[in-house]
Amino acid sequence: MVRKRKKAVTAEFYTVKRIDNSRLVRNVEPAKMRNLWRTVALGGVVAAFFMLYVFQHFRCIDLSFQLEDLKGQHMKAAALNSELKLEIAGLRNPMRIDMIARRRLGLTEPLPTHVQEYEAPDGAEVAAARFVRPNRAP
Amino acid sequence: MQQDRVHVRLLIIAGVAFLWMGAVFGRLTYLQLYRHSEYLSRAMRQQQRTIEITPERGTIFDRNGKPLAMSIPVDSAFAVPSEIADENLAARLLSGVINKPQEEIEARFESSRSFAWIARKLPPEKADAISKLNLKGIYLQKENQRFYPKRELAAHVLGFVDVDEKGLSGIERELDSEIRGKSERIVVMADAKQRWFDGGEAKRERGASVVLTLDEKIQYIAERELATAMVKTRSLAGTVIVMNPNTGEILALANWPKFNPNKAGDSPSESWMNRAVSAIYEPGSTFKLITLAAAIDQGITRPDEVFDCENGAVYISGHRIRDHKPFGLLTVSDILAKSSDVGAIKIALRLGAPRFYDYVRAFGFGSLTGVELPYESRGRVEPLDWKPVSTAAISMGQEVGVTPMQLVTAVSAIANGGLLYKPHVIAELRRDEKVLPAEDALATAEPRRVIRAETAATLRQLMEGVVLYGTGPAAHLDGWTSAGKTGSAQKIDPSTGRYSPTQFFASFTGFAPINNPAVTILVSLDSPVGQHEGGQVAAPVFKRIAEQVLAYLNVSRDVPLNPKLIETAYMKRAAEDPSALEESSSVDFSGQPDPPPAASQIAKADAREQAVSTKPVLTVAVDQGGDIEVPDFSGKTMRDVTDIVLRLGLDPVLVGSNLATEQSPAPGAKVRHGARITVQFGTPLEKKSKQHAGVRN
Repeated sequence: MVRKRKKAVTAEFYTVKRIDNSRLVRNVEPAKMRNLWRTVALGGVVAAFFMLYVFQHFRCIDLSFQLEDLKGQHMKAAALNSELKLEIAGLRNPMRIDMIARRRLGLTEPLPTHVQEYEAPDGAEVAAARFVRPNRAP
Repeated sequence: MQQDRVHVRLLIIAGVAFLWMGAVFGRLTYLQLYRHSEYLSRAMRQQQRTIEITPERGTIFDRNGKPLAMSIPVDSAFAVPSEIADENLAARLLSGVINKPQEEIEARFESSRSFAWIARKLPPEKADAISKLNLKGIYLQKENQRFYPKRELAAHVLGFVDVDEKGLSGIERELDSEIRGKSERIVVMADAKQRWFDGGEAKRERGASVVLTLDEKIQYIAERELATAMVKTRSLAGTVIVMNPNTGEILALANWPKFNPNKAGDSPSESWMNRAVSAIYEPGSTFKLITLAAAIDQGITRPDEVFDCENGAVYISGHRIRDHKPFGLLTVSDILAKSSDVGAIKIALRLGAPRFYDYVRAFGFGSLTGVELPYESRGRVEPLDWKPVSTAAISMGQEVGVTPMQLVTAVSAIANGGLLYKPHVIAELRRDEKVLPAEDALATAEPRRVIRAETAATLRQLMEGVVLYGTGPAAHLDGWTSAGKTGSAQKIDPSTGRYSPTQFFASFTGFAPINNPAVTILVSLDSPVGQHEGGQVAAPVFKRIAEQVLAYLNVSRDVPLNPKLIETAYMKRAAEDPSALEESSSVDFSGQPDPPPAASQIAKADAREQAVSTKPVLTVAVDQGGDIEVPDFSGKTMRDVTDIVLRLGLDPVLVGSNLATEQSPAPGAKVRHGARITVQFGTPLEKKSKQHAGVRN
């Protein structure tokens, strides 16, 4: 068996190397900086336009939903309005009014002698004009 | 060595990326080129829906702007069967809501994979119920539904529509294209949650609204009186027309049998017939007006000329024609008043067939009147090849067929001084509050002179004689002069082809007041049972309608009233049966099953109970809400009543004599100072009999 001989320990010395690069000054090239800023600005503009487009797109969809909601509300209100008009028309049915007058209120037609005709006093036409429908008398 | 490894890795990544991109690109190519149409249609089906927007039908108004027909939006349910997960379950759930068999709903699902109606024009509660089911693939769509809020009122003029809002009769049919408007399709988008958006604006052209010349109150009066007459006379059918003779405007047009246009399908189709323009009948004695108009206008006779009426029978070409009553010598005036057939025949024979024919055609018989109603009949006037017997028959209203509209138009010409106006029911068309120009059939036509003004004036006098001392005293009005002509035409028995001895057309056509006629009224009753003469059954209807319409139109009275006679006549009149008036609700969703029966039954029961328990008394409306309590005058003398009423600062109106029996307002009512108190006097017996009689007409 060959026995390995131990290596001799060698001393290592680390020396502090002081580097002073303060004198190194990076040369700023104005042309490159301008290009940089231009690129950044252009990117910003493109991004802004893109964001605006995206915002408009989603806003448009959102407003479409709101519009549909409003249309629905409008249709409901219009339908309610129509139903109420129909109900008013039904309530004004002459037959219904006649029945209420005769059955519930016990009214009957006045005799011809109960209806008195009077000469209209001066100015009565003016006062009555707004109550008289022009197409009522043939 | 190191660099080689880096290159290999980069190549692997690039290759994978390339393959991935190639796969994506290949898939895209496959989808875009080979399956483009399939996916496009699936996307469209999922994201878009095309909806047909049917514009609202225009409203139909009466002359005073009261709506008679209007449309309101209601929900209809439809299915997109391809979206329904479990069709069986959906059909079962829907069946419970809309009361249709499950099999029927399933069959509808099977009919189409993209669209199928489930139920159309649902009442709100059913639409809500379907909405709450929240079934996938079942949607609600708004549609317009036509409603006639006054129910049977003017049904024959208005007509009705089908489920697609297409006019089937009446004005709804005649002006369908104008009232209907133009429909348009729009595309609606949906998002992933099936929320609809971006529907766009449909440019709907609304249907035009129609303003009729009818007045709903006059129409109601005409219908009510016709209904009463139908019940009393048990006639098969009847017609009433009220016309303004000075313009040709139809103020009312009523037919019996009637129908509810909201539920037209529930009535027999015979009831839809507008007899006023479609039914032709032999006018009988009312046609003597045309005979006399022609003869007097041609100057071949005069009112005081005497004719020998041959004691009730005359032979024409071997045919014996009998009068309804034997008459001897009669003036022309009496021939009309007493309605002598023999007299009319002699006048017509003297006039001659050609001239008579010219007048018959000039008055509009045998041609369309031009009224804006569908299915108008021309009537029947034989071509001019009349034998003497035909001339004789036509002179008394046989062998000629007329419509009620033709006859009332002709009588209006006599009433207004000889001008024949085109009858019309449409006053104007409006769209968005703008009046549309009248075109074609709607354009107003200039009236045509058919007889001289002097002839018309003479005829008016003769027609007044019919009412004053002729066959139509029942048409005598209280407060206005009136003129007219009765007609009692035998109907032809279809089984024998001869005139029936038992079936008649009873009619009365007249106008009032005589000097400045405001209305012309025609009443015709088909086959009245019992009394059958026009003077007996139709003339009283004319009187009832004319008196109410003239009062409503504020037409000044031209003859004084005789209070005592009127009181007596009215008190004797039979009580009106309130049950003749049907129950009426304000709104009904017709065409659908009835609303919960309990409510309507309770309302009807209440109404009947009130009708039985309430005994209407003679009364007039007075101002209420004052602080003076009306005392009980029963049993008091006229002097006592006058003293009390004047002491309270009220205005007494005393009717009758003897002791106070009735009063209005009732005792205890609060009235204002100066209010009118009407007190009826009579004997206690009268009071009892009046109470027994119930409601006065």
